[in-house]
Amino acid sequence: MKSKALAAVGVTVAAALALTGCSAAGGSSSGDSTKLHIYAWSGEIPDSVIKGFEKETGITVTVDNFDSNETMISKLAAGNSGYDIVEPSQYAVPLMVERDLLAKVDKSKLDGFDNLAEKFVDPSFDPDNGYSIPWAWGTTGILYNEACTGAPVTGWKDLWNEKYKGKIYMLDNMLSAYIGGMQVEGLSATSTKKADIEKGTQALLDQKPLLAGYNSDNYADLVATGDACIAEAYSGTSSAKAVAANPDVHYILPEEGGTLWTDSFSIVKGTANESAAYKWLNYTLQPEVAALLTDDASLASTNQAALELVKDQTQVTNPAIYAPADSLDNAEFIVDPGKALAYYQDGWTRVRAS
Amino acid sequence: MANTRRDSVTGALMMVPASIVILLLVVVPMVIIARDSFAISDPLGGNLGGFTLDNYAKLLDPVYGKTIGYSLGMAVLNAIVCTIVGYVVAYYIATRPARRQPVLLLLVIIPFLTDFLVRTFSWITLLGSGGPIIGIAKALGIPATSLVPSQTAVVLSLLYAFLPVAVFPIYASMRAIDPSLREAAADLGAGWWQTHARVFVPLSASGLASSVMLTFVPTLGVFVIPVLLGGGKDPLVGNLIVTLFTEFRNEPLGAALSMVVLVLMLASVALAGLVTRLVSRGARRSARSERSA
Repeated sequence: MKSKALAAVGVTVAAALALTGCSAAGGSSSGDSTKLHIYAWSGEIPDSVIKGFEKETGITVTVDNFDSNETMISKLAAGNSGYDIVEPSQYAVPLMVERDLLAKVDKSKLDGFDNLAEKFVDPSFDPDNGYSIPWAWGTTGILYNEACTGAPVTGWKDLWNEKYKGKIYMLDNMLSAYIGGMQVEGLSATSTKKADIEKGTQALLDQKPLLAGYNSDNYADLVATGDACIAEAYSGTSSAKAVAANPDVHYILPEEGGTLWTDSFSIVKGTANESAAYKWLNYTLQPEVAALLTDDASLASTNQAALELVKDQTQVTNPAIYAPADSLDNAEFIVDPGKALAYYQDGWTRVRAS
Repeated sequence: MANTRRDSVTGALMMVPASIVILLLVVVPMVIIARDSFAISDPLGGNLGGFTLDNYAKLLDPVYGKTIGYSLGMAVLNAIVCTIVGYVVAYYIATRPARRQPVLLLLVIIPFLTDFLVRTFSWITLLGSGGPIIGIAKALGIPATSLVPSQTAVVLSLLYAFLPVAVFPIYASMRAIDPSLREAAADLGAGWWQTHARVFVPLSASGLASSVMLTFVPTLGVFVIPVLLGGGKDPLVGNLIVTLFTEFRNEPLGAALSMVVLVLMLASVALAGLVTRLVSRGARRSARSERSA
């Protein structure tokens, strides 16, 4: 759920790699496995983590990347994906559980589960972490360039401000765009009520003339150069770099709330390499391994014990990586809209075509 | 007689590998898409199979018509611009000395050894606020900000992306034109415009038609350029199909929209074929009547 540049290439590569991954599914499930197939968001598992795991366990890891939960779910739902570990976002976990795609995590086989920060233990999207062990987290908020806005920005309402007409970007993603559209109207970003969603749609329609565009790829560059004053943004690498490099660029969670996401490791149901999959979960629960996520990928780790082990502590204090705890008070976890997805889709199609 | 039969059998056999590849990689996937376009979708993004016309009924929503119309307009515009510029380039190359022509053609291709996305990103730099074009405009005292995002940027980048596809078929048909025709036209008092309008354009009609088709059809499928250079505010039908398959988790609806686009593409190819035939027949007839006059 972070910036996914070069999306088209990613899909093609993932599709091609997935074809080659099929052969792994046929193996027997007995004995110690020597292979592990991981299907994850691009950029969320640093090479250092994979190399370390391979060295420690002797297991060969193959990682394929996806650029949306939907792509990942449809590939798994098609059957025989050959993957052992997947990395769904929070809202994808219940969807996948419902479709019987994930294996229940046996806690007795885990070592280091208590390293997780409190807010990722027993989360709303997966009670008792039955199917997912959170790995990375981040926020959806606002990135702005103060040299351009002239004043600090505090909330979504600034993305509806005439003053910045033609200098505003929204994320090119339906559910992300609706976070702003719903919260600016004082509604929950995860509402499933038709009337609420229509209000959100109207807000986005009203906003469109003010926008320079919808962009999920290079908005951070645009804000950094001042081509954009203010953009809806994901935390993580590109926003963090812009904040670290330019003192005028700030990342905030809007006062109306903003949202929180977390991507977790889950075991694919029917995996042929179950023992290797548990080794992966245990390896990534180690604080020194989790710290690499921040050091090498500029992403926030869910592992509380890892924070002090991060070598570059400016990353831990960068709000575009670790949003300050008090700003998270109003942040919502994005959940699956379920049947209400149809209302969002109708609205979003209208917004895009208007 | 026996020989020609053996030749045709050999010919058919040699076609087998290519036919298998086309069958597996083109026909089979298209049949799957065609099948899916009538399937029932579940809200979780599944494809339940079965048969329904709902997907096509949904496409009647004016929202889709508007995007398809806009995409068709963009594709027509791009096909025309590419073909005009392609014609000029092809004419230039075809009228150079024969040994220099391959070098010029190579120069047309070289930039395309670079990845499509990288080239698209380079347009952002070129037209962006810190880029040379804005820099020159500012130096000349023309007030200008960034050209990205804008429809101008989209049109320029589409032209750039598809130009070689336009140049090659036009060049191929122009090379077949006897150079003495140009002298003949000049001898008969035809000016620059008449030489092109009455000799070169009709005689390279098949190349021009291929150029129009080869640029029009893929432009309908473009989805990266409008996002990166157009700000993503005016999606093309390609963007819509991507959204339907991924974010909307609605394979059947995406498949139905793909089929509509496919039919539009086939119709345009048929139309282009028809126009070429009429134009070249007309050219032959007028050539004949001029000769008899």
